[in-house]
Amino acid sequence: MPSSVKVLDVWNRKLHFYLGLYFLFFLWLFSLTGLMLNHQQWFRDIYQRVETKYDLGIEASSGATDLDRARDVMRQLNLRGEIDFPAAQPVGHLDFNVSRPNGSSQIRVDWNAKDVYVREFRNSALHAFQIFHTFSGSRFNQPASRRDWIVTSLWVWAMDALAAGLIVMVLGSYYMWYRLKKRRALGFAVLTGGFLACALFLIY
Amino acid sequence: MYRWTRDLHLYFGLFISPFILLFAASVFYLNHAKLIVGSQPAETYADLRIPQGFDRLKGLEAVERAREILPQVEAAGEIGFLRYVSSTRHLIFPVSRAGVEAMVDVDLEARSATVTRRTPSLWESLAYLHKMPGPHNIAIRGNWMGTRVWRWFADATIYLLLFISISGLYLWWAIKAERRIGFALLAGGAVTFFGLIYAVIR
Repeated sequence: MPSSVKVLDVWNRKLHFYLGLYFLFFLWLFSLTGLMLNHQQWFRDIYQRVETKYDLGIEASSGATDLDRARDVMRQLNLRGEIDFPAAQPVGHLDFNVSRPNGSSQIRVDWNAKDVYVREFRNSALHAFQIFHTFSGSRFNQPASRRDWIVTSLWVWAMDALAAGLIVMVLGSYYMWYRLKKRRALGFAVLTGGFLACALFLIY
Repeated sequence: MYRWTRDLHLYFGLFISPFILLFAASVFYLNHAKLIVGSQPAETYADLRIPQGFDRLKGLEAVERAREILPQVEAAGEIGFLRYVSSTRHLIFPVSRAGVEAMVDVDLEARSATVTRRTPSLWESLAYLHKMPGPHNIAIRGNWMGTRVWRWFADATIYLLLFISISGLYLWWAIKAERRIGFALLAGGAVTFFGLIYAVIR
């Protein structure tokens, strides 16, 4: 066997379990939360939220855009999270929501009265755990939505890295299986079964 | 034990690998794509056989009745939700499956329906399967056989993925020469993971 093939065999195998070990906790999170999302009936009790409401005085913001002003208000209220604006703003007001997996806040700013009304919702730990699965700050079917919190971008980057890592692991596993001559036939049957089952849902 | 674990790791892994590729590839679309849907041409169907009771039925019972309309308007798939407009006696619902999406607007009095169809891209179809059955409208979710079977495969993928990750730990641990670097990577992954979780929720 040429030495280059041996090197490929060794490093492909190493890469397979190195990636698996590095991403293990991410994989468990997305697997378990995927199960939760598909079986909401098992977790009915976890969606109770604790709500608090309060009014506060607020300083006028000098921000040039709604996003700048919203960030300024969040700084004054000591809030962190992904900002989501409604389709339209009432005159003299700034309405927006701030969310992160463990809770969310509805902010209603009245610039004339220099007052802000806040409704805060705190999620249970299991609910927060589940939200990590979908916490991307952007929805593909809502073109106007976009990420505006760097921490969300980091989380999305981790999701992308896990997805890329899984693809590399799967492709590497095909090579490892193919190199096992005794397991080619059964492996081919199993793999074909998997592809046919998957393709059925895409074309049916 | 080692040989059995290795073989099960291999064969279970090969079987679910297309599903893992589907779930992984669709992540990029779900995280980064922006879908803009233009207006679609509508088709009209007349002289429909309309089941009774939409003014009083709710949930799965109403969905089952609505399903009787689907073959008459040449649509098939999962009904997303039902909206009954009592003032105009219209029943509006989306029907979807991977690769096909339709919005059906039934005029219950005139016994006619207007159907708007769209053919989603392959990426959209992958994302659709990724999100199915999902957390929404659970009282009526799985009203199409395809969704119920897909739910079974999606669950099986998760259970087998958990088995593969745990058996993978066992297989790695059996290679003594790789334990040290493996531990370092596992610890590095744990620090990244819990560090990110902390950054998000603190």
